[in-house]
Amino acid sequence: MTTRTITIANRGNATYAVDAKKPLLDSLRDQGVDLPYGCKYGGCITCAAKLIEGEVNQKAQVALNNRQINDGYVILCVARPLSDCTFDIGVESHDRLYRNPFLDPLEPHELKADIATTKDQ
Amino acid sequence: MSETCCGPGYASPAEAMKAPREKVLYTIAIYTGTGIQKPDYLCTIDADPDSPTYSQVISRLEMPGIGDELHHMGWNACSSCHDDASMERKYLIVPGVRSTNLHIVDCGTDPRNPKLHKVIDGAEIKAKTNLSAPHTVHCLGSDIIISMLGDAKGNAPGGYLHLNKDFEIVGRWEESMGDIKFGYDFWYQPRHNVMVSSEWAAPNTFMPGFDLEEVGHLKYGREIHLWDFEKKEPKQTFYLGEDGLIPLEVRFHHDPDSSHGFVGAALSANIIHWWKDAAGEWQWEKIIDVENEPHPEWPIPVPGVISVILLSMDDRFLYLCNWLHGDIRQYDISDPHRPVLTGQVWMGGLLGKAPEVNGVKVTGGPQMIQLSLDGKRLYVTTSLFSTWDNQFYPEIRTNGGCMLMVNCDTDNGGMEIDPDFVVDFGREPNGPSRCHETRYPGGDCTSDIWI
Repeated sequence: MTTRTITIANRGNATYAVDAKKPLLDSLRDQGVDLPYGCKYGGCITCAAKLIEGEVNQKAQVALNNRQINDGYVILCVARPLSDCTFDIGVESHDRLYRNPFLDPLEPHELKADIATTKDQ
Repeated sequence: MSETCCGPGYASPAEAMKAPREKVLYTIAIYTGTGIQKPDYLCTIDADPDSPTYSQVISRLEMPGIGDELHHMGWNACSSCHDDASMERKYLIVPGVRSTNLHIVDCGTDPRNPKLHKVIDGAEIKAKTNLSAPHTVHCLGSDIIISMLGDAKGNAPGGYLHLNKDFEIVGRWEESMGDIKFGYDFWYQPRHNVMVSSEWAAPNTFMPGFDLEEVGHLKYGREIHLWDFEKKEPKQTFYLGEDGLIPLEVRFHHDPDSSHGFVGAALSANIIHWWKDAAGEWQWEKIIDVENEPHPEWPIPVPGVISVILLSMDDRFLYLCNWLHGDIRQYDISDPHRPVLTGQVWMGGLLGKAPEVNGVKVTGGPQMIQLSLDGKRLYVTTSLFSTWDNQFYPEIRTNGGCMLMVNCDTDNGGMEIDPDFVVDFGREPNGPSRCHETRYPGGDCTSDIWI
């Protein structure tokens, strides 16, 4: 089993050893981290956390648009760690997750992956 | 009130209007998306003005899990089985739209203190039917169908879950979804063998929040569908286009002989009316158009976002909420082709017309409404959906939602916010929660259908 170390910055930098092959939500909840979640298939955004350092594979997620991904958001219910990672978790990490679409529209390259244009177009 | 029959509900809409006044209200309240790691719950609210606990939450039933996002709910039985003495309006089916869990709540044994009767696990529903994201619950005689907005992975169009009266999964209700792209609300009118369904979006699109730009990419609905109700398949689609962006709440006249019905197009902020003409053809038209309002600080004018509509039991008045503007409107639809605005009140909203009502800061706007059977009291809540709340009204995290009551003049038209009724969900014991749909034990204006 490949193990990664996950640090939760906004929980006093608590660290957890997790299986690199398991979704982070399951690994962290199994070790007693109280995390919000909803659909558990990567579609509903409830479990979003902000990646401060490290790399994840979250190809299965369909909830985030490109702006949210660029802002570091990760859907924990489907994301697996590719390296040691540091996160902020919970709604305290959601400061950039939600935006008023009438106040702050997305650019075409900031849409979800299936409809976004590339930035140079 | 007719006492000759033992089944639930009433013999007719006119009989329903004579029912005793509602004494308690059931309203869901959510912590999903708030940062408070507690289950969503069903509140019982005292609506008896002679009671010492009037306008207060008198009991709370927590769901077993966290993160359900309770949203809409429905009765196990309504006036559609009034002739069936073996049936009883006893259970609320309370779905979790994110978890797909269905909570069956016994409200009949002790109406002031409902208890959890059964949970149908979301995983079982997904495994047996490939459906998720339950929304509208209607009973059909003794059986129950629920619109499910996605497949098990949150893709559109989903379908309809069929439960029997013992709350066992029968399977998929519909024979076919035809070319329907999205699901949301539905209502049926059996004497015309018709059901009408509307369109929100795929769960994977609307659950994370509202990207306005996705509307132009056809990720949100703009059609309504007429079904052959007996064959359980769609037979005609109305393409509403720009007039009908995101058609949500569907209401037929309560009069079972009428073919007239209405849907609120949330983003276009229009009311669409349909009916069957003298030649037997179904027609539609736009009858109400709420203008977008400029906002001093925003590049894009604010649409009303009609999140709900409702018809009074006598089908005379149509109520709608503009969740982003902050107003509730009452229209006289005695002539359904020519609605007349007869009342308007303001609470919350983004235009700053009524930031505080009855001493409570209103965060959010008028959202779900429920009308008393006699048409005189309209109960209003302010939260739409956790992620959308977080986008448009982020202060709701700390302020919570609230419930208000509007007194409606059924003789001359007109509305007035009742000064003595307010339930502040910002003061809930576990912290600020958000209130959504409301129902009454004796039936209400969005549950009862006559066959």
